[in-house]
Amino acid sequence: MTDMELALVIEDDEDLATIFSEALQAAHFTVETIRDGKQAQIRLFAVQPQVIILDMHLPNVDGMVLLRLIRADPRLKDTIIVVATADARMGELYVDEADFVLIKPISFTQLRDLTERLHKG
Amino acid sequence: MIWLAKFSTKVNQFLDVPTADPDDARRRKLLNIILAGLSIIALAILLVAPLARALGQTMSSGEMAFIIITGAGILAGAVAFYAMNKSQLPGWVASTLFLLFLSLTMVMADSPEQLASGRSLFIFVIPVVAAGILLKPGYVFLFATVSSVEIYILAQVAHSEPNIFAMFGFYMIAVMSWLSSRGLNQALHDLRQTNANLDRLVQERTQELARALVRERVEAGRTRAILESIADGVVVFDLQGKAISANIALVRLLDIPLEELLRADVDSLTHSQVLDAKNRGILAGLLTSPGQGVTSYRVQWGHKTISVSSALVEDSEGERVGTVAVFRDYTREAEIERMKNTFLAIVSHELRTPLNAILGYAEMLKEAIYGPINEKQARASERIMSNVRRLLDIVSDLLDQAQIEAGKLTIQVRPFKLAELLDTVHGVMDKIAGDKGVALTSNLDPELPESINGDPARLQQILVNLSNNAIKFTDKGSVNIRIYRHDKKHWGLEVLDTGIGIPEEELPNIFDAFRQVDSTASRRHGGFGLGLAIVKQLAELMGGDLAVKSKVGVGSIFTITLPLVATKKRRTS
Repeated sequence: MTDMELALVIEDDEDLATIFSEALQAAHFTVETIRDGKQAQIRLFAVQPQVIILDMHLPNVDGMVLLRLIRADPRLKDTIIVVATADARMGELYVDEADFVLIKPISFTQLRDLTERLHKG
Repeated sequence: MIWLAKFSTKVNQFLDVPTADPDDARRRKLLNIILAGLSIIALAILLVAPLARALGQTMSSGEMAFIIITGAGILAGAVAFYAMNKSQLPGWVASTLFLLFLSLTMVMADSPEQLASGRSLFIFVIPVVAAGILLKPGYVFLFATVSSVEIYILAQVAHSEPNIFAMFGFYMIAVMSWLSSRGLNQALHDLRQTNANLDRLVQERTQELARALVRERVEAGRTRAILESIADGVVVFDLQGKAISANIALVRLLDIPLEELLRADVDSLTHSQVLDAKNRGILAGLLTSPGQGVTSYRVQWGHKTISVSSALVEDSEGERVGTVAVFRDYTREAEIERMKNTFLAIVSHELRTPLNAILGYAEMLKEAIYGPINEKQARASERIMSNVRRLLDIVSDLLDQAQIEAGKLTIQVRPFKLAELLDTVHGVMDKIAGDKGVALTSNLDPELPESINGDPARLQQILVNLSNNAIKFTDKGSVNIRIYRHDKKHWGLEVLDTGIGIPEEELPNIFDAFRQVDSTASRRHGGFGLGLAIVKQLAELMGGDLAVKSKVGVGSIFTITLPLVATKKRRTS
């Protein structure tokens, strides 16, 4: 457990949050799930995750705001952001700021295989 | 001056002899004029004798009797000839007899010597010339002969030589008279002809005009009836932009009284309080210069959505005479359209999230995340996954189709690498092709630049759609994707399969939304018929063309030709 890297799943849909977190666990991450934008914003001051799965459509604080906040924080400069969005058109907008953009539906295996390659070193 | 006109009419009635031949009538009238003149002279002579006596002139009773007899004789003769001229007898009878009588009277006018070749010889010219006017031209020779005979007899009586030169002179005058009389007749004839033509023309025109007026009234009535019976609001503006006609539907639609509408012009109509500045400008443009830019536009008129379209009104010569604008109440349609789009967007999002969840759980089961499973359970999980994917595809197609219909789907052009496009398509399609045992191959033409400008996401969608379709309808053989240079300015995408093919009669319909070639194929292959319609519309949005060639039992080739836009980096390097 000591060396397990942290992954944050920020997704408001309960089922999708479960699936994403299972995929990340399968990819050997310690997973924390947050289903609210505001809570995610607070939590990001405290943790330094290796990977963040970020849904763009969130209650209270929008995914776009969180994306900008993370990118503006030098402490999180090594964090890999995987944006998950249902809107293929909107996906194009995040290409520059996110490391990966996945368009929903996102498959369990797809996310597991992708994040498996995202461990440090 | 009415009395003068009345008098003139009376005189004309007195002088005119109504006959069918206008020349005959003219000649008879002329004779009557001469006779009237003679009668006036005769009356004057009859008055002279008693007047002279009253003034104290001495006059023998013989002289007196001569004057009275002469006057009365001339008067009686004139009346007799007048009666004859007015009678049913042919026109020439009275004139000929009158001229003969005149001629004979002249024989007694002077001494035979003077008449035969002296100072009175000239008077024999009178009947010759008069014949040219009062009778047909040929009669002049008759009276030349009469005059010649008379001076010959007079010469015999006077025991002198007949004056051959005078006789020759009569004939010369007759010839001239004949010529001029003929000329006059011809001129009068032509004039009558011209007049007759003119009359006919005037009458024809009048009738035409009358018919046109009737037609116009019928037409106007019909136009009015059509105008009033149509459900859309119609207004017609003249060239100055003034409303000249409007129907009751427009009154109801815009809630402006008819009188006010008919006083309105483009300016006052577009400055209605319910329009905002943007709609105002567009509406004014539509109404003043139709056919330039937009021909139809939806404006928000208070709570109503109104679709306005306009057209030039031209006359039969193609000259612009005004503008006609049609206002259609689009409120309900606009509301339905908005609701449909919102509905589809929500539905597709709301459908996708649970479908994504089903897909994810099925995958986790299959991947044994929740513990080991047997082979049957693994197969069941796979069936769940493939069915969910199909549902997800349908949802995507529905949303795309809705966006295309709403004009909301846009093409976002950026530089991209063609090889990467092919890789992505392979990434998505290889497994599907492999599962079905169909070989999926591809070629990239080296003639094409490495990187070009385009919308890679939409191009990928096109290729995935076409190859998905191709694989679906191919049971054995292969599907090949080819990206090639079409010509200097175009590049092409081609998807070729060795599938069941499309019957020729179905080819024109395959790009229609919600249609698939024969329903049994549809059931067997589970198609939804939106894919090709979307591909076609996407190709058109990119300025391209989609073509298909197919033979039943041999296969199909779908080709898209697109304009080639090389990236700037490529051009400079």
